Amino acid sequence: MALAIRKSSNEVFSFAKWFIRRECRVYSTLPESVEEVTQQIEETKPKRATGRRAPKILEYRHAYPEFLPDPNPKWRNTLREKLERQDMLNRRKQIDIPEFYVGSILAVTISDPHAQGKSNRFVGICIERKGCGLRADFTLRNVVDHQGIEVRYDLYDPTIQKVQVLRLEKRLDDKLFYLRDSLPEYSTFPFDMDPEILPEGAPVPVNPIQVKLKPRPWLERWERQELKGISNIEEYLKEKDRVRRELRKTPWEKYDLMKDYRKTIPIEEQTEIWADVNHQIQQLHLNRKKSSRKRTFTSPKTQLA
Amino acid sequence: MATSNIKLLCLNISKMRIGSFIINRSHSMKPRYRPPYWYEQKERVITEDFLTKDNEDFLQEILQDRLQKLPTQDSPLILDQVDQTVQWNQYTRRTGLIARKIGNYPMWTKDGKRMLTTLLQVNDNHVIKYIPPDEFNPMIIKNKKWKENKRLGCLLVGSENIDPSMVTKQYCGLFNTIGMLPKRHLYRFMVSPESALPPGTPLFATHFRVGDHIDVRAKTIDRGFQGVMKRWGFKGMPASHGVTKTHRRPGNIGSGGEKARVWPGTKMPGHMGNRWRVLRGVKILRIDTKYNVLWTLGVAIPGETGATCYLYDTVLPLKKHKSSPPFPTHGTKEDLPPEFYDEIVHRFEQPSITFEED
Repeated sequence: MALAIRKSSNEVFSFAKWFIRRECRVYSTLPESVEEVTQQIEETKPKRATGRRAPKILEYRHAYPEFLPDPNPKWRNTLREKLERQDMLNRRKQIDIPEFYVGSILAVTISDPHAQGKSNRFVGICIERKGCGLRADFTLRNVVDHQGIEVRYDLYDPTIQKVQVLRLEKRLDDKLFYLRDSLPEYSTFPFDMDPEILPEGAPVPVNPIQVKLKPRPWLERWERQELKGISNIEEYLKEKDRVRRELRKTPWEKYDLMKDYRKTIPIEEQTEIWADVNHQIQQLHLNRKKSSRKRTFTSPKTQLA
Repeated sequence: MATSNIKLLCLNISKMRIGSFIINRSHSMKPRYRPPYWYEQKERVITEDFLTKDNEDFLQEILQDRLQKLPTQDSPLILDQVDQTVQWNQYTRRTGLIARKIGNYPMWTKDGKRMLTTLLQVNDNHVIKYIPPDEFNPMIIKNKKWKENKRLGCLLVGSENIDPSMVTKQYCGLFNTIGMLPKRHLYRFMVSPESALPPGTPLFATHFRVGDHIDVRAKTIDRGFQGVMKRWGFKGMPASHGVTKTHRRPGNIGSGGEKARVWPGTKMPGHMGNRWRVLRGVKILRIDTKYNVLWTLGVAIPGETGATCYLYDTVLPLKKHKSSPPFPTHGTKEDLPPEFYDEIVHRFEQPSITFEED
């Protein structure tokens, strides 16, 4: 009997682990990490097909993460969020803000009163994307003349004239600040890059590239952050660093349901939010398709010229 | 004879009053604070009423009925009745509004500069009562000449309808007399008699205009008992170099000699926040007429998100109204554009900002 109870409790525990790893991830506002994708594709696919599957409307949370408000209950207000979303959609009707992720390569043109020709174009890799609502912003990094340059743009800034995705892909990590301490070739991108067009409906590819760090000193303690996109970190670590990394580890945090709950918007509220903006987002998609068709017709002319 | 004399003496002694010897301290003692006489106790002890499910549903039904009727009721402010001959001048005091702070978000100016705005929602504001200057007799008056002048009346304004069963009967009575549901917030505004409004008049966000400056009175965020570094911005003391146990302490609080004591008003640890503060001269950038929301410049309005604040016309001499605002208030809500914008604000539905070459 005791054995049976122990066994059943074990089963419950393992189910809980499974549930936390898979299901809580699904409704998280944070971008999915790659490890889960690669490992679980074969396992989860048949299970999801049987029934439990997030509605299609919830998939917007990856492409439009800034439409979800800050989960801190002190700052929530339904009316404010509604007005904010309307303003965001109004801005998106004026300018096509494409889908992009941390690790994608973007070209941003802004109007700048001090620049020659009153506009400025910058190309770089997106190393961070954060903020909710109209405060949403992203940071681009590039190396120009052996000098690393980072520019932070507000996503809804009306001085932005054009946002173009040159290469749509994800990287192995949520934030790529370690490019600041890695060799410059990993964050160098030519300004005359041609946009790479993915086939329609294809999943966003994940670039499994691992960068090489420069020797110390570093800006942050990269070894403590469990980064997957660094290949040679071990050769710079001393015994002291390894010991402290072990001491600082928090392996229990992935089981902290409450922490996960506080970081995310509940599924019921998400469905409300996405239902509110669904129609207008679909209109934006249609407009984008129309303009992309136009682009395919015009592109041969430019090549000939 | 002697006894009668003694009796007479006793009578005289008993008649002697000692009241004149008592030091009259009324000039130094403040009168005890009592709630103003127009106010009734609001909070009710919630008791179990043992209602059946049907009765509870019935009460809810009545409440919903009354709530639905409220917006359809015509405004009793008929502009013909209001004296049109009285014009606004710079000495008139209009009523204010009760608003709720609902958050901050950025907006951009037409020359591409980012500015943070605070959103204030004016929710179901109605005039509840007007007390003319002669009848208004408050308990505590700071300015003694005020009583002699008596030029301002008292206008009660309420905001946010609530369930009548959650408050006392006498509090509901304040609102029943004008056929309204009880309000969550009830506040008095001192107004000049010509800007008095009849009870039941709705007040909207359009009471103010875009580009006007307002004063906002609200309670600051309650931070509890705080040390001297957070409360007064002291530097504290060094973290190292042999300093022990005094990293966040104030240090010296007085000098010796003649001043060998702690002087009144010395900045010390204590309770921080939860105080009434007025932020003066806040510019209105945008007004939503459908939801009655004001966008104001800056994030310095006291209180956290959801705090109640009171909005007045500003008293700053350079930022006062130059021309007549909606007087006594903006009456009708029909035929208004959905939104008003200040001229410096870039609207999100406008095309991107470009700068022209000289």
